[in-house]
Amino acid sequence: MRWMEELKNKLRHVRGRDGFDVELEEEMRTHVEMRADELEAEGLAREAAVRRARSEFGSVARLQEETRDAWRVRWVEDLVSDLRYAGRAMAKSPGYALAAVFSLALGTGANTAMFSLTSEFLFSEPSVEDARSLAVLRVGGASHSPQREYRFLKDAKLYEDLAGMREEGGVNWRQGDETFRLNGFRVTGNFFAVTGTPVWLGRGIAAGEKDTVVLHYSFWRTRLGGREDIVGRTLVLDGRPFRVAGVLPEGHRTLVGFGFTPDLYLPVTDEREVVKMIARLPAGMNRGQALERLQAAGAELDRVFPPAGGVPRKSGMSVEGVRSTDRVSSRKLLPVAMFFGMLMVVSALVLLVACVNAASLSLARAESRRQELSIRIAMGASRSRVVRQMLAESMALAAVGTACGLALNTALARWASGLALPLPVPVRLDIHPDWRLFGYAALVAAGSALVSGWIPALAATRGDVQPGLKQGERNVGSGRRRTRSVLVAAQLAATTVLLSAALLFLRNLGQASSTDPGFDVAQTTWATMRLVPERYDSTEQRVAAAGQALERVRGIPGVESAALAGVVPLNDSTTIATGMKTDLNPQEKQVRSQINRVSPDYFRTMGIPLLAGRDFTAADREGATEVVIVNENLAARLFGRQSPVGHTFGWEFAGGKTVLQVVGVAKNSKYFTLGEENTAAFYTPWLQSRERGTMLHVLVRSGRPAEGLGRDIRGALLGLDGSAAVEVRPMRTALALAFLPSRAGAWLLGSMGALGLLLAALGLYGVLAYAVSRRVREIGVRMAMGAGPWRVARLVFGQSFALVAAGTGAGMAVALLATQPLAMLLVPGVRPGDPVTYLAVGVLLALVAAAATAGPVWRALRVDPASALRQD
Amino acid sequence: MGKPEPITGEFLPGTLALLILKALERGPLHGYGIAKKVKDASGEALAIEEGSLYPALNRLLVKGWVRAEWGISDNNRRARFYELTKEGRRRLAEESREFERLVTAIRLVLRTV
Repeated sequence: MRWMEELKNKLRHVRGRDGFDVELEEEMRTHVEMRADELEAEGLAREAAVRRARSEFGSVARLQEETRDAWRVRWVEDLVSDLRYAGRAMAKSPGYALAAVFSLALGTGANTAMFSLTSEFLFSEPSVEDARSLAVLRVGGASHSPQREYRFLKDAKLYEDLAGMREEGGVNWRQGDETFRLNGFRVTGNFFAVTGTPVWLGRGIAAGEKDTVVLHYSFWRTRLGGREDIVGRTLVLDGRPFRVAGVLPEGHRTLVGFGFTPDLYLPVTDEREVVKMIARLPAGMNRGQALERLQAAGAELDRVFPPAGGVPRKSGMSVEGVRSTDRVSSRKLLPVAMFFGMLMVVSALVLLVACVNAASLSLARAESRRQELSIRIAMGASRSRVVRQMLAESMALAAVGTACGLALNTALARWASGLALPLPVPVRLDIHPDWRLFGYAALVAAGSALVSGWIPALAATRGDVQPGLKQGERNVGSGRRRTRSVLVAAQLAATTVLLSAALLFLRNLGQASSTDPGFDVAQTTWATMRLVPERYDSTEQRVAAAGQALERVRGIPGVESAALAGVVPLNDSTTIATGMKTDLNPQEKQVRSQINRVSPDYFRTMGIPLLAGRDFTAADREGATEVVIVNENLAARLFGRQSPVGHTFGWEFAGGKTVLQVVGVAKNSKYFTLGEENTAAFYTPWLQSRERGTMLHVLVRSGRPAEGLGRDIRGALLGLDGSAAVEVRPMRTALALAFLPSRAGAWLLGSMGALGLLLAALGLYGVLAYAVSRRVREIGVRMAMGAGPWRVARLVFGQSFALVAAGTGAGMAVALLATQPLAMLLVPGVRPGDPVTYLAVGVLLALVAAAATAGPVWRALRVDPASALRQD
Repeated sequence: MGKPEPITGEFLPGTLALLILKALERGPLHGYGIAKKVKDASGEALAIEEGSLYPALNRLLVKGWVRAEWGISDNNRRARFYELTKEGRRRLAEESREFERLVTAIRLVLRTV
């Protein structure tokens, strides 16, 4: 880079500039003297020699100036003087500067906030050493493998090392007399060493340790008071003491990403736990080669541990990266990536509106500064110099605006980081300003300076300087007026797109809230009870505990009914997709269905009507005929119009088959999302299920107010086992997850839309008010000539509405196309192309325009024709 | 003596820099020494305005093609001595070639009828 080299030389020079002038003078003097000496030696008299030498040398003053020029860092010095000038100009019209800074601050604040959110949610890197050489292994299509398979592959030494992690796990923490359910990552002893996860206080979990934990910074900070002497102390988890080995640093990010934040890491102790395998690849090995090695080991693995269903594991093997880009490129994340893409587009639109705002402000100001600019050009400033000057002004504005925006962003981020999201998984977004944000903000500032400064600067310096020089010349710049109208129309178009998207999500929220989930949420309460696994080792103990829990809850006064369920709808789901046969039709049918295992009284408790047959009873237990209740959709798919009650259906699996007898048909409801349609589902009796977890979901139906009822349920369950972690929530609160996508969307886009509307309203108001103020004289003439106030009002209103119509028309055309991909984020009743949305947007903008025009019109009408005519 | 009329003013842009580089090829010189060398070598046909040497020298300093240091001249005066840097030497060769090419091209144009 030659110019860098030169700049370095120049900067070195700038430091000693005073000395330089003295030296240059001395050097030139010596030169002249040397020449004079020589001429003297040739025979000239000293005086004549000196005179001749001087004339040969040329003008010392001019040459010194030229020499200094060689060293000047020209553009920097120009910029400094431009900025100084800009500062003075702005101090002269603080209203304009304030309005522009305010616009830009809101625009950049919103924009950089969305950038922080997106980059943290999607692109935060896991806190590990060299994420590039870490990979997640999948064997037999499963994300998690039994520990014996993990040990087998680890001992096979396929890679540098292999660690295991189970990232969804509850842990009961006993503190004083209370038990809390925490979220813990269970990891193999070598996890910290293999991944190189940095620990802030103390150390990580070491190989072979079974009773140490590593705490997350925010857990340590908020739940343990952030005490420094925590290392070596003991926490009682799942009824056993664990020693705190260390605390993670504040900015710890898990391998899972997406802000997933556990309270602590603890060792895997239960042999039944499955783990996700994380491999450290040797230097130089890529993921393709890693997969080949894994597949080569597949046959041996199948021989030692025959696979379920006889399907060789090799068919379902994969090796995936752990970096953010690997996560985001996964196809499952398409809707999420789309949503964030939309957010970025929307916030870019907000910024654009803000820039256009600043641009039209500075255009209006350029017009009133026309005389000043004309004088500068007449005095010999080149057009490019004046344009640069005006760009320096918008740069200064953009810099101040962006700085304010960043302050706004930081405040927003702090607020958002403290926000607890209503999710069953612990998600916390740790948003801190970092170099990415500052780099992005600098780009935003430069971009907005260009966008908001370029057009006004070119427009203001266009054309002849003559008319501008004449004081009071009024009929200049119909072209500039056009430029400004185009700007406002563009701004309106951007706002229209914004508002369309925002309204779409607001309607989505409304629609989602009014969607009937198919079960009652008003009088149901959901209690979870997590039992410590070690205390309930056998299936019998677990079944007994569940039965007792149900009995105790049913005994609470005011409880109409209570039931157990495997999963609670709209929060979690279990699905099966397989070929099913019925006793009426030997033809196999591919069916995807939701499954839930429920106790008797589930349907009564949830308020789901049984349309035919009966509910489960206590007799539907292990050993009795396996029975099932299907929903209408599944009944129709398997049995057509026939009543399924009394018939059977079933499917085959590796090493056996399941046949279930239908005893009832339940009304359709929503199972996993509010947006789903025509979902098939069936229920099996809780007592006939093979699965016996230690997490109990107890559903309660009662007309009692939530607070007292919750306390009673909690007391009843803790009375059964004080070491269990119990949480009780009204069903309405628990449904928050189902509303989260539409709620977050409505919130974010709604606020962006409101911001865009506010900015566009400001811009519209400013431009119209300015246009009217420039036409005071014209209005005066019209009124003097006999035009009534109505005609004047019609004139001004007509102009605003023409602008609004052009702007919104163009915006709607863009919005119609741009919002199409949003369909996948919306509930069925709301479609992107819905005319209602556009009608609402049009009406809204027209109202804003009317409000923005009313003020100027009011002022225009009060103009006294005589004084208007006298105005310069 | 029938001396030819000296060439003054702007001849070809960049030539002054080339002449300075050439003058410094054999070792460091002070400003006056450079001016003298250029004049002598050209048989006084190139009478540059002596002072214009300094802006040109300083531009070369900025580019890093020459460096300067204070020293004592033959007749015991304090003077700034200029010296080619490695980069300057490389540029001299390069610029000379460029100049040759240009002159050849001009000559070709002039000869064309």
